[in-house]
Amino acid sequence: MNKMQRAIRELSEMDELAAGSSLIHALHPAAKLVTTVVYILVTLSFDKYDLGGLVPMLLWPVLLFQVSGIEVKACFYKLRIVLPLVMAVGLFNPFFDKAILLQLGGLPVSGGVISMLTLMLKGVFCLMASFLLMATTSIDSLCAALRKLHVPKLIVTLLLLTYRYVGVMTEELAVMTDAYHLRAPGQKGIHISAWGSFLGQLLLRSMDRAQELYSSMMLRGYCQEFYYADYRAFRLGDALYVPASSTAFFLLRTVRIAELLGSTIVR
Amino acid sequence: MHMADALLAPAVAATMYAASGTVAGISIHKLKKDDEPQKLPVMAVTAALVFAGQMINYTIPGTGSSGHMCGGMLLSALLGPQAGFLSMIVILAIQCLFFADGGLMALGANIWNMAFYGCFVGYYLIWRPIMQIQWFGEGKSAQRTRIVAASIIGCVVTLQLGAFSVVLETSLSGITELPFGAFVALMQPIHLAIGLVEGLITTAVLLFVYESRPELLQCIPVVGGESSKRSLKAVIAILAVVALVVGGGLSLLASSNPDGLEWALFGNAEKGYAENMGLDEESFGLSSKAADTAGAIQEKTSFLPDYAFADNDTAVGTTVSGIVGSAMVAGVAILICLLGGFFRKKKIP
Amino acid sequence: MIEFQHVSFAYEKDRPVLQDLSFRIEKGEAVGLIGANGAGKSTVMKLLLGLAEGEGRILVEGTEVRRDSLPVVRRKLGFVLQNSDNQMFMPTVYEDMLFGPLNYKLSREEADARVDAVLEKLHLEDLKHRYNHKISGGEKRMAAIATVLTMEPEAILMDEPTSALDPYNRRIVINTIRELEQTKLITSHDLDMILDTCDRVILLSEGCIAADGPAREILYDRMLLERNRMELPLSLMGRSD
Repeated sequence: MNKMQRAIRELSEMDELAAGSSLIHALHPAAKLVTTVVYILVTLSFDKYDLGGLVPMLLWPVLLFQVSGIEVKACFYKLRIVLPLVMAVGLFNPFFDKAILLQLGGLPVSGGVISMLTLMLKGVFCLMASFLLMATTSIDSLCAALRKLHVPKLIVTLLLLTYRYVGVMTEELAVMTDAYHLRAPGQKGIHISAWGSFLGQLLLRSMDRAQELYSSMMLRGYCQEFYYADYRAFRLGDALYVPASSTAFFLLRTVRIAELLGSTIVR
Repeated sequence: MHMADALLAPAVAATMYAASGTVAGISIHKLKKDDEPQKLPVMAVTAALVFAGQMINYTIPGTGSSGHMCGGMLLSALLGPQAGFLSMIVILAIQCLFFADGGLMALGANIWNMAFYGCFVGYYLIWRPIMQIQWFGEGKSAQRTRIVAASIIGCVVTLQLGAFSVVLETSLSGITELPFGAFVALMQPIHLAIGLVEGLITTAVLLFVYESRPELLQCIPVVGGESSKRSLKAVIAILAVVALVVGGGLSLLASSNPDGLEWALFGNAEKGYAENMGLDEESFGLSSKAADTAGAIQEKTSFLPDYAFADNDTAVGTTVSGIVGSAMVAGVAILICLLGGFFRKKKIP
Repeated sequence: MIEFQHVSFAYEKDRPVLQDLSFRIEKGEAVGLIGANGAGKSTVMKLLLGLAEGEGRILVEGTEVRRDSLPVVRRKLGFVLQNSDNQMFMPTVYEDMLFGPLNYKLSREEADARVDAVLEKLHLEDLKHRYNHKISGGEKRMAAIATVLTMEPEAILMDEPTSALDPYNRRIVINTIRELEQTKLITSHDLDMILDTCDRVILLSEGCIAADGPAREILYDRMLLERNRMELPLSLMGRSD
C-alpha cells in the first residue's frame, strides 16, 4: 500500500466514523463546530506553566469519545503528525528555562519541562477536539454548517467539490505510483527525469476533467448555487449544547479543579 | 510547515484568522467580479490534484532522500493569485479536518504562511514581473528560462517568508523558550533547502505544462516561433547541481555553528518535520530516530547536577496538589470510560 | 424531437469533424449512434447540448439550439457522461440527484419526491445516502443515470453507458435503458448493447452519415460495418448469412 492509498483509507475511515449514530452525531454541525472552536481557544489560553489547570480539560474529549462511541485509538494514528511538530518546538524549553519550579520527591522539575508537557498536552487535546468534530460530522453537513455560519458560498462550494475530487485524484496518483514502481523497481521515489511529466500528465488530464465536470454542472442547470442535503433545523438541544459546554469550559478554566481535588488529599 | 494549534496563543490565532479571512474576502470579491463560472471546477480539480501531488516522493539526485511539493507557487501560476489562494485554503482545510495536519485554530496562520505568500507575494512580486522581463530575449527558450527563474525564486522566497512567519507567530504566542534570533537562525536555512527542492519540482511541472499547453499558465503569451530547444532534463540537472552545491554549503555552515548540540537537535527534528509536510510517517513516527535522540538528550540534561535549585514552598505545594489532582482527574476520566462501556454494552441486546 | 439540418463542425479549418449532417429523431425513438474512433459521435452530442457551436441548424422539439435557448434545450435533454466520476460531483448520491431539480427551481419537497420515485424505479434505494467515492463502478453508472432521470428529461443522451462494466452490471444497465420510455440517443462501441436497446442505428464515418436505418439491418451487415472499421456484434458472429 502506498502513501496515497493510505490517505484514501484514512479519508474513508473518517467517513465511516461520521456515518455512525449517537447523541453527538445527531447534534447540529454548526453547534459542534462552534463548541469545538471554543474548546480549543480555552485550551490554548492556559498559561505555559499551568499544567495542573490544563489536565482537567481532558474530561470533555473523554466524555465525547464515550457518548459518541468512537474509540480513542482511532485518533492516535493522527497524533503522528501533531506530536513531533509540537515536540520539535517544545523540546527546547527544558534547555532554556532551567529555573526549578518544583521538587517531586527530591527530583527537581524545571519550568521548561513543565511548559514542554503543557505544550504537548495542548497539542493532544486540540487534536482530539477537532478529530471528534470530524468523526461525528460528515463533510456535507459540515458544509451546510459553514454556510449557516456565513462562510462565503464560493469557499464552501469549493471545499465540497475539492473533497469529492481529492478521492478521485489520490486514487489516480496511487495507480500511477504503483505503475511507476512496477517499471522502476528499487527506486524509492520519482526519478528526476520524470519530475515534471509525472504530475504534469495528470494535471493536463485534470484540466479536461474539469471541463467535462463544468459541462455536467451546466447541463443540470447550474447557476452558481449549490444546495446542501443537510437542511436540518437548529433545534433547542443544539442551542443549549453550545452555552452549556462553553460554561463547562469556562468553569474548567477558572475553577482549579485539579488543585481542589488534590488539596482534599494532600494536607 | 503546518503549524499545530498548540503552538499558537488564542490572540495570535485570531489575528491570523482575521488577516487570512480578509485576503480571502478580497479574493472572492475579485473572482466574483471576473465572473468566470467555469473556473470553479478547474479550481476544485486542481486543488485536489495538488493535494494528492503533495504525497509524491521525489528522489533528490545524489542524496538518497526525497523531497515534496507544497504547491502554492504552482497553484498561482496555473490559476492566478486569487483562485490559487482559495484553492490552497481548501487544501489546508481538508488536511486539517481529515488528516489532523495543522490545527483548526492554526488554520488562519497556516493559510497565511503557506497560501498568502505562495500565491500573492509569489505571483505579484515574482511570477508576473519575471514573466514580463525582457532580459532573457524572446522565443521559447527565453520563456523557459523565465519559468525556471520565477519558480525557483518564487518558492525559495515564499518559503523563507513562511518560515519567518512561523517563527514570529510561535514567539509571539510565547510558547517556546528558544530566543527569537536562534529560532530564526534555525528555521531559515532549513527552509532554504526545502524551498529549493520545491522550486525544482515546481519548475519541472510548469515546464512540462508549458511544453504541452502553454495557455494554461498565467501571464504567458503563447509564442509560435520555435527556437533552440533545451531539454527539460538538462535544465533540471543543472538546477539540481546548483541546489546540491548550495545545500552542501549550508550543511557546512551548520556544522561550524558554535551551538552544535542545539543545531544537531533541531536539525534532526526539522528534517523529520520537513518530511512530515508530505505525510511521510515512515521516516517520522513517534519512535523516529530524531525523537529518540532528542528524548535521550533531554533525559540526560534534566539530571545534570549544576542546575540551580529554587526554593519556593508555596509554588511547590500548590503544584504538588495540582499533580495529585490531575491524577484524580485521570481517574474520573477512566470512570467515565468504564461507565460509557457499561451503558453501551447494556444497550446492545 | 431532435433534428439536425446541414450541420458542419470543425475544430481547425480544413479539418472538418462533421460535414453537412442531417437527420431526424422522432419522439420515443431509441437511436444508436455508432462509428469508429474519431467518426464524430461525441461531437454530435456536444453540438446537440450546446457545448460546442457549429454551422447549420439543430432543433430540439422545434427550439433551435442557440446560446440564448440553452436553458430551455438543456432542460429537455439529459446527458449521461461516459465517466461517472465527472458527472457525480456532490459528496452523496442523494445530493447529486437533487442538484438538477433544485437548480430548476423545484421546491425541496417536489425534488425529494422525484428522487425517491427515480430510486424506486431503478431499484437503487440502498444507494441514496452512499458516498459517491465509495460506490462501485456499476453502482456509479446507475446512480449517474438516476441523477439525469430526476430532471425528467424528454430525451436521454448516453455516451458509452456500458463501458468498463462487468457483464452483470452491463446487463443491469441495458435492462434499465430498455425500460426508459424517453427518446434515446446512445453512442457506443458496444454494438451488442446497441442491438439490445435501439431500434434504429445511425452509422457515422469521417463526419458523414454512412448508413441510417433499422438496427436489425445495419448491425447485421458485416460488409458495411467492416468497411467502416467495425465488426459484427458478438452475438451475431458465426451466423451464416
